[in-house]
Amino acid sequence: MSDSIRDRLKAPAGHGEQAGGGDTSRSDVTSGDFVQTDSRSAHGPGQTIPSPSATQAGDGGTGLVGGGHLSDDPKRAKRAEQAVAALFLLSLVGVIGFCVTFAAWPYEFGERYFELYTPLLGIFMTLSLLGIGAGAVLWAKTLMVDEETVQMRHQLSSDPKDREATAELLKKGFEETGLPRRTLLRNSLLLGAGSLAILPVPFLFGFGRFQHKERVLAKTGWKAGSRLLDELGRPVKMGDLEIGGAKTVFPDVPGGRRLADSAAFIIRMRPDELKVKEDRKNWSIDGHIVYSVICTHLGCPVKLYEQQTHHLFCPCHQSTFDAADEAKVLFGPAARNLPQLAISVDADGYFVARGDFNEPVGPSYWERKPHYSEPKYNAEAGS
Amino acid sequence: MATAVEKGASGAAVWVDDRLGSSNFIKRSLNKVFPDHWSFMLGEIALYSFIVLLLSGTYLTLFFEGSSREVIYHGAYTPLKGIPMSAAYESTLRISFEVRGGLIMRQIHHWAALLFMASIVVHLMRVFFTGAFRKPRELNWLLGVGLLVLGILEGFAGYSLPDDLLSGTGLRIAYSIALSIPVIGTWAAFLVFGGEYPGGEIIERLYPIHILLVPGIILGLITAHLALVWYQKHTQFAGPGRTEDTVIGSKVYPAYGAKAGGFFFLVFGVLTLLGGLAQINPIWLYGPYDPSQVSAGSQPDWYVGFLDGSTRLMPNWELRFWDYTFSPNVLLPTQVLPGILFGLLALYPFLEAKLTRDRAYHNLLDRPRDKPVRTALGAMSITFYLILLIAGGNDIVASIFHLSINEITYTLRAGLFILPPLVYVATKRFCLSLQRADDELLHHGIESGTIRRLPSGEFVEETVPLPPQYSVLLATTPERKELTSHGAHGDHPAATPAPRGFFRPRGGVIEPAPEKAPDGKELEGTVD
Amino acid sequence: MTSTRSRFSGYAVLLLALAMVGGLYTAFGAPKSKAADGANQSIAIEEGRQLYLQGCSTCHGLNNEGGAGGPTLIGVGASAVIFQVESGRMPLAAGVAQAPRKKVKYDRTQIDQLAAYIESRGGGPTLPKGRLDDGDLALGGDLFRTNCSSCHNFAGVGGALTRSKYAPSLKPADERVIYTAMQSGPENMPRFSDNQLTVDEKKAITRYVRYITHEAKDPGGAPLGRYGPVPEGLVAFLVGIGLLIVITLWIGARA
Repeated sequence: MSDSIRDRLKAPAGHGEQAGGGDTSRSDVTSGDFVQTDSRSAHGPGQTIPSPSATQAGDGGTGLVGGGHLSDDPKRAKRAEQAVAALFLLSLVGVIGFCVTFAAWPYEFGERYFELYTPLLGIFMTLSLLGIGAGAVLWAKTLMVDEETVQMRHQLSSDPKDREATAELLKKGFEETGLPRRTLLRNSLLLGAGSLAILPVPFLFGFGRFQHKERVLAKTGWKAGSRLLDELGRPVKMGDLEIGGAKTVFPDVPGGRRLADSAAFIIRMRPDELKVKEDRKNWSIDGHIVYSVICTHLGCPVKLYEQQTHHLFCPCHQSTFDAADEAKVLFGPAARNLPQLAISVDADGYFVARGDFNEPVGPSYWERKPHYSEPKYNAEAGS
Repeated sequence: MATAVEKGASGAAVWVDDRLGSSNFIKRSLNKVFPDHWSFMLGEIALYSFIVLLLSGTYLTLFFEGSSREVIYHGAYTPLKGIPMSAAYESTLRISFEVRGGLIMRQIHHWAALLFMASIVVHLMRVFFTGAFRKPRELNWLLGVGLLVLGILEGFAGYSLPDDLLSGTGLRIAYSIALSIPVIGTWAAFLVFGGEYPGGEIIERLYPIHILLVPGIILGLITAHLALVWYQKHTQFAGPGRTEDTVIGSKVYPAYGAKAGGFFFLVFGVLTLLGGLAQINPIWLYGPYDPSQVSAGSQPDWYVGFLDGSTRLMPNWELRFWDYTFSPNVLLPTQVLPGILFGLLALYPFLEAKLTRDRAYHNLLDRPRDKPVRTALGAMSITFYLILLIAGGNDIVASIFHLSINEITYTLRAGLFILPPLVYVATKRFCLSLQRADDELLHHGIESGTIRRLPSGEFVEETVPLPPQYSVLLATTPERKELTSHGAHGDHPAATPAPRGFFRPRGGVIEPAPEKAPDGKELEGTVD
Repeated sequence: MTSTRSRFSGYAVLLLALAMVGGLYTAFGAPKSKAADGANQSIAIEEGRQLYLQGCSTCHGLNNEGGAGGPTLIGVGASAVIFQVESGRMPLAAGVAQAPRKKVKYDRTQIDQLAAYIESRGGGPTLPKGRLDDGDLALGGDLFRTNCSSCHNFAGVGGALTRSKYAPSLKPADERVIYTAMQSGPENMPRFSDNQLTVDEKKAITRYVRYITHEAKDPGGAPLGRYGPVPEGLVAFLVGIGLLIVITLWIGARA
């Protein structure tokens, strides 16, 4: 194939018309010291392609087809010119409108008619841009001489002789460096330059704080005895929630609402609706049960609670959990139950946590141990 | 006056040429020929959108504060007065409500980002279905795939910067995806976010990545992409005179340049139209990011949507062995799948060349029907991608049409495996039957509408041979070339204009060839 | 600006109303007014009972005890009645999974009478006195995003729940419906008692919901349904890419 291209690769119409042919007449590769093997030297200029187009190439543009411009019809050309001019002037109108709106229209939130500021700017900006753009295209389509022109493609691959010469040059230069013979030089260079790859690595350590992954990820802000605060910082007490009620709660620590892993959801249902197993007997009180809101799939807050079906539904990827049954996964890509927070009631009637969640909250990670904090629970179960 | 201008211009040109010797280069560049076809402009949309992104983005950086420092809002937007938020979110509110032209710039920027990605995808489809990626253009295909992936990353970074409720939800998902990487997941996530989520540094880090690093790389790749198009010359569809060795089209100067320049302003105009009249990313309605809050219908921008969809469709597989947790339910749809998809996409030109043992240069484009397997593979991939995209919005579909989200998910899960093969078979058959129709035209010509009665009493419809300027379009296989070059009408069709049209020769009624076509001029009228 | 003004005017109206109530109270004397209230109340209850017997008793039973068609109404309170009837959900047309919003069958007075009747049957949550939409807008927004947006979406346009259930759009809901929905927790919506969200907080949420669904302008142009990135992506392809392809066809076509 390569050969056939070379065979057929000819400059267009001869007539000394390299200008018209653009880079058909000369390779784009300036080959420096290489032997000239581009199309021109291989075939020489002035050869014609056996194509009818060549017969028309006398005008220098190797023009094939008139582009449908209207220069031959003065009346239509005049009309086209007027249309283009109208579009260009539309731009002017747009720009003026834009400037006036930009400077004079109320733009601050709450000001009268401020909501029209952006749409008006958009309309005027669009007018100014479409005017100039459509005008230019129409101009090119109707009034400019736009002849179809033939250009030859140049050979992309180098001449085999060039290839060999280059390879030879590279090889020779490499030998001149002495690297192939001087093994000490070569090995030390490899070692030294290779070690540079390590240079950026220490910077990585600056990016993250060194934290005990397991401890940081497995623990939240909840501690035994911390009260359940609502989004406004008020402690939640027994009786605040009616049956069918649910509420987002945070641990009673400074900035508790901002702790990304600690948000929990307290739900109240009829005690007989709640399926409580023996090992979680003390974790809920009178139909009140608390789960982590952080989805075990990808960490979105699971707060779509359906109080009749007791489904907890994640709006991000639709994982569905059964709040009445240890937040078991009913549907969706989440693999694990929502962790549960064991609660009790303190002397003043406020809900308090009995410790941290029974499992690390949120999405899975490599080092995750399912029962990281379980021993603590056993220790507290009696209290 | 005109002479003064001319004088000045030539003086300047001489000054420059004295120093750079640029005349020859300029001459060759201005005379460069680009083939004309509407579908060749799809990539330009991406280029122009990128320019608009740079312009609008620069304006936004003047007012945006890429910081997660907590502030209490006291700005103009009363419904958020007194609410704690990050400085990034506050400055985005300021841009929207207290900076002249701020909101429209934000919206133009966001629409330009969506259209940048959309036009890349549409351009990619054009290149794929017409085989423009074949030798010698595989490198440019790779550059294009690189731009696609970088565009997705850049878009996601930009989407995350305002630190609103929606983008914060997205960032949390990104963090969780990083966590799921086996062995190094926690290290990677903590490294990127600066600690356990939210880490407090992600906005500060994404900001320079979004406005400097990635756009810089994209700019470099676009430059290389265009330089290669320029150097290797554009592909073209077959047609009279359009062979592997020629380019037929308009010269850059003046007509093609005027059209391309005009098209830039038209693209810009469409973006300002959307930016002014279609509200996008109303972050004031989302509210500031708060890890305990979420909105129904939380979605990423469309170009990440297919990954959200794959995540939604994935069954909940998780493995635990020894003390370690392995999460295919996260890993497969968010990392393995895009790795495979983009990997296959990048390797496709090489795979196709290897499987078809095709080592030839290709400057002429394929008509999709003439490569049924490739076209069918493409249609199959698009089906697969679309199902994932729909799955990414399954809650919106359920909400608007009151369907069961669970059933939508089950249906799409099944569809993901059933539909693509069906589409493959259907597309291939469709291509083959189109080919047969072409063969029919070539062999027997066009039905003329004239019914003739044979002496035997049989009725036949007379056919008229296909005019040469059309038959050359169909001469896409060796057999057909044979047919057209030795056929009655195979002589020198080159001087006639190429009929246009992506899928079929356009022009409604195909008139029979005139008695003689002396130099092609007479044929012009019959074509367009 | 406008919202501040309307909040101030709200306060002004409230003050004026309070002054008038105070004036009336002193003019007519407390005991008498109380007695009149009581009389009015019993009339309302009786009217409500008649409406109930005609319109509701088939499903909910002659004595509100419930039946095959509907749950018991004893103790559900006035709020549940106002929510269900004023949003047109009751009377229910047919047995459906989730009661859709329909044309309202009763006028405001009749609804109040029905509510008074049901409230007389075992009490339950009822609407507070005074305006419902004069709460603190910013507080309402924060509470909305914590308690409501997860189902109803950031702009109150609604969203999907499991198995074709849905959180409805809040746009058609008036103040009373929004407020009573929080109190009564209809169907799968959680219930928000006054201890959980105080009257002022519920009013703040009501105010915010009314604000985003009715007053909030869209300064960026067409809101695209306020569904977020999904319609934005559709518009990018259908309008943006669509328009630009038309333009390329125009440019590519020969004159």
